[in-house]
Amino acid sequence: MFKRAANTELARSAPPMAGRAEGLPAALLLAPFVLVFLLFFLGPAVQTLWLSLTESSLTRTSAFVGLANYATLVQDEAFWASLGHTFYFSLLTVIPLTVLGLVMALLVHRFVRASSWLQGAFFLPYVLPISVMTLIADWMLQPSSGVINHIVGGQRAWLADVDWAMPMVAIGTIWWTVGFNMLMLLAGLRNIPAELYEAAALDGARGFTLFRAITWPALRPVVGTALLLQLIASLKIFGQTYILTTGGPFNTTRVTLHYMYETAFTQSDAGYAAAIAMAFMAVVIALSLLQLWLGRSWRRMRAGREA
Amino acid sequence: MASVSLRGIRKRFHDNVVIKDIDLEIEDGEFVVFVGPSGCGKSTLLRIIAGLEDVSEGTLEIGGVVSNEIEPARRGIAMVFQSYALYPHMSVFENMGFALKLAKVPKAEIRARVERAAGILQIGHLLERKPKALSGGQRQRVAIGRAIVRKPEVFLFDEPLSNLDAALRGQTRVELARLHRELGSTMIYVTHDQVEAMTLGQKIVVLNGGRIEQVGSPFELYERPANRFVAGFLGSPRMNFFEATLVSAQARSATVELAHGVRVQVAADAARARPGDKVVLGVRPEHLQIVHTGEGGGIGASVALVEYLGDVTLVYAHADGGGDMVALKCDADTAPPAPGSRVTLAFPATRAFLFDAGDRAFTPGWADSAAAQGLREPMT
Amino acid sequence: MKHRSQLGWSIVATASACVLAALWVFPLLWALSTALRPELETVSATFHWLPRSWTLDAFAKTLGAGNLPRWLFNSALVALLVTLVTMAISLMAAYAFSQLRFRGRSALFGIAMLAFLLPFEALLVPLFRTMNALGLINSYAGLVLPQVVSPVVIYVFKQFFDAVPADFREAALMDGAGPLRVLWSVYLPISGNIVWAMAIVTFIGAWNNFLWPFIIVTSNDMMTIPLGLTQTYDAFGVRYAQLMAAALLGALPVALAYVVFQRRVTQGFLATSGLKG
Repeated sequence: MFKRAANTELARSAPPMAGRAEGLPAALLLAPFVLVFLLFFLGPAVQTLWLSLTESSLTRTSAFVGLANYATLVQDEAFWASLGHTFYFSLLTVIPLTVLGLVMALLVHRFVRASSWLQGAFFLPYVLPISVMTLIADWMLQPSSGVINHIVGGQRAWLADVDWAMPMVAIGTIWWTVGFNMLMLLAGLRNIPAELYEAAALDGARGFTLFRAITWPALRPVVGTALLLQLIASLKIFGQTYILTTGGPFNTTRVTLHYMYETAFTQSDAGYAAAIAMAFMAVVIALSLLQLWLGRSWRRMRAGREA
Repeated sequence: MASVSLRGIRKRFHDNVVIKDIDLEIEDGEFVVFVGPSGCGKSTLLRIIAGLEDVSEGTLEIGGVVSNEIEPARRGIAMVFQSYALYPHMSVFENMGFALKLAKVPKAEIRARVERAAGILQIGHLLERKPKALSGGQRQRVAIGRAIVRKPEVFLFDEPLSNLDAALRGQTRVELARLHRELGSTMIYVTHDQVEAMTLGQKIVVLNGGRIEQVGSPFELYERPANRFVAGFLGSPRMNFFEATLVSAQARSATVELAHGVRVQVAADAARARPGDKVVLGVRPEHLQIVHTGEGGGIGASVALVEYLGDVTLVYAHADGGGDMVALKCDADTAPPAPGSRVTLAFPATRAFLFDAGDRAFTPGWADSAAAQGLREPMT
Repeated sequence: MKHRSQLGWSIVATASACVLAALWVFPLLWALSTALRPELETVSATFHWLPRSWTLDAFAKTLGAGNLPRWLFNSALVALLVTLVTMAISLMAAYAFSQLRFRGRSALFGIAMLAFLLPFEALLVPLFRTMNALGLINSYAGLVLPQVVSPVVIYVFKQFFDAVPADFREAALMDGAGPLRVLWSVYLPISGNIVWAMAIVTFIGAWNNFLWPFIIVTSNDMMTIPLGLTQTYDAFGVRYAQLMAAALLGALPVALAYVVFQRRVTQGFLATSGLKG
């Protein structure tokens, strides 16, 4: 591709600007970023690895213990349980969030005149802090004076119920975050050229056929991306369960990050917590890489089709 | 001294050699045009002179100073970009004065220089406006004004007219010529349009595939093209080419045989070739004439298309020997032949060109006779 | 001429839109309704959708007691600082990555983008220890600093700078501008819109950040809104009107930002999502 560019007049080889001394201004401009990046990201990342190989408290490092923490981790029922709870939460949220996001995007796309109101209604929760969601959810789910019980009847304490706690957290999360998915899918919808629909309409296609033949194929990659992004985001859940249920009842909503937090800050076992963090990172990184790879192969496939 | 000298200039983009050994001398005060098809390297050459591209090999001298390593802003040059590159958030005045501000020129002098340049270009009333409030032609003047203000030794123009509509283009061409006369600076102008090249250039450099095909005045290039490329590049419609075989070569003329055994005479010195060699005959559309059949050797053709342009009529025909369509420029007053009819074409021997198998021109033999006929180089 | 099926779809669509919109605004409206009634009414035996007696009591109490005003101040300060610092750092870095040539440019950029893969959540423990060592626990600096590392913003800015036509840079070059001057006089003025979008998104993100303040803040006075609101459980016990008032007040700034800057907000969030796809 570069060869072609070089043969046209448009090749710009981007030579250095100020003579050849571009290193200095670059260093100046990058210094602040590099500094905070090292101090507050790369450093801690390396430290997590290091910590996981030691026996440490929150403030002091004691002994180097190699892979002992990991050995414990593999056998730790509480850890695997927390992983299970995390995946349960993912299961409860990822698909509904994507489906609902798609429906909302389609509606906003359709009702052009009301679109900013509709969009606003769906997206507003997303810009709110988590505690607003948890406060309102907790109030609505109150056993005696909560509005949910007024509508549904009964006196159930939803968040204290082993079967309902996580689903309720999931529903609250869906209310809170669906706006982002809607936005992504809406952008995908708006990217579909109007001419495709016009041509199809001339060919006599209507309603659901239009959706199946034009909308869905164009939207499929975006939906795929949204699903994967949701999955990765759902694994990182912490605030909702911590605030609403404190990991209860009976630790049934204690997700992995919560477990890590408890290990580090309540039990002051930083080394073991770091091992949990590493395991957690491994899962997230694996999924993120998958998402990047899928995104690239989709782009290549699309480029190939258009070539 | 505002001369520009290029010696052995070579430019590589990774493995691609884009400019291949260019040697060129540009005199102080000349208006030089780099012209050629897309991808020939003309813009790259200009950017090399500007300092926006590095030189892989060779020496670039501006005003007698070796400038390969000198920053663009310190080469004594100013450039007018194809897209004008006016800073969108600055007013016209600020755009024009930006370079001076960077050079810490006192405000009073900046104002004086900007106003003077604005006066020359008649944009004085636009100084407070932002670029987006200007028309294309106005923006272009601002771009030129920005260059003038810097009082450069050499002006560089990168296809400045290509974004203007046809009417504006013609008008601006005239203005640019006037500007050159007024300022007397060296100007290097890049274009793909041969009309601009012919009308503006004192010296034209025809480039193709990173090499110089020919350098000369418009007259020289048009009347004495050094090779088939230059011959076909200048002139519209393009020169007609016919495949032929050399029959015999005399001192000032040669006889060649075209398809169907048609033999014609060309006033060219083909001594360095041998009879039987493949050659190419070139005749410009304005020199091809329709003759009555039987008036001696002529090329048979059938008319395909007739275009009436008001001042001339263009006739396109398929010659008997095959090959590209032949174009004729005829006087609009005479009735043109009807499409589909058969015609015979002929041309004066002194107005034809001959090219060898390597596309190099055989020296035209008409030079003396042209002078004898009173044809002279136009004054520039 | 609408076919029967088209009409059917129309009805379904309109109904769905209404139902979903109603469902989505309901919680906030219900919170408002709760906040506008006297405390006793919230736990009364009979249920009422609308307040029987309207009062701003809850809001007054929330603003008076507890530390809500202080939390609002903290949130505003922290969010503002995070935004300003992030914008400054990211613009400079993005410009360097986009327009300057230096050894190791792609390697450095790759490492910076690595941050996409690593979740912030996994770094809590060492970050805490670092802050402890630096003596920044429970301080504004401690709150702000880890939040200014934003590869997303850098990436968005870099994409933007990459797309600026090279002509402007070259013209500035020929005018005699050095690289820093080009950034200041050419690239920054052009990037107004995208900077606004990213700034708002960063502000909202910083305002809503729960996890990091939760870790680093140890005293009530230093809390930010998301954190402070969770304290209201203990502070107010079961005073739901006040809780809802607190929630709404805490939501107000960002909600307002969204309503006023709706287009920029969506533009900003979209920019950050597109890159991951």
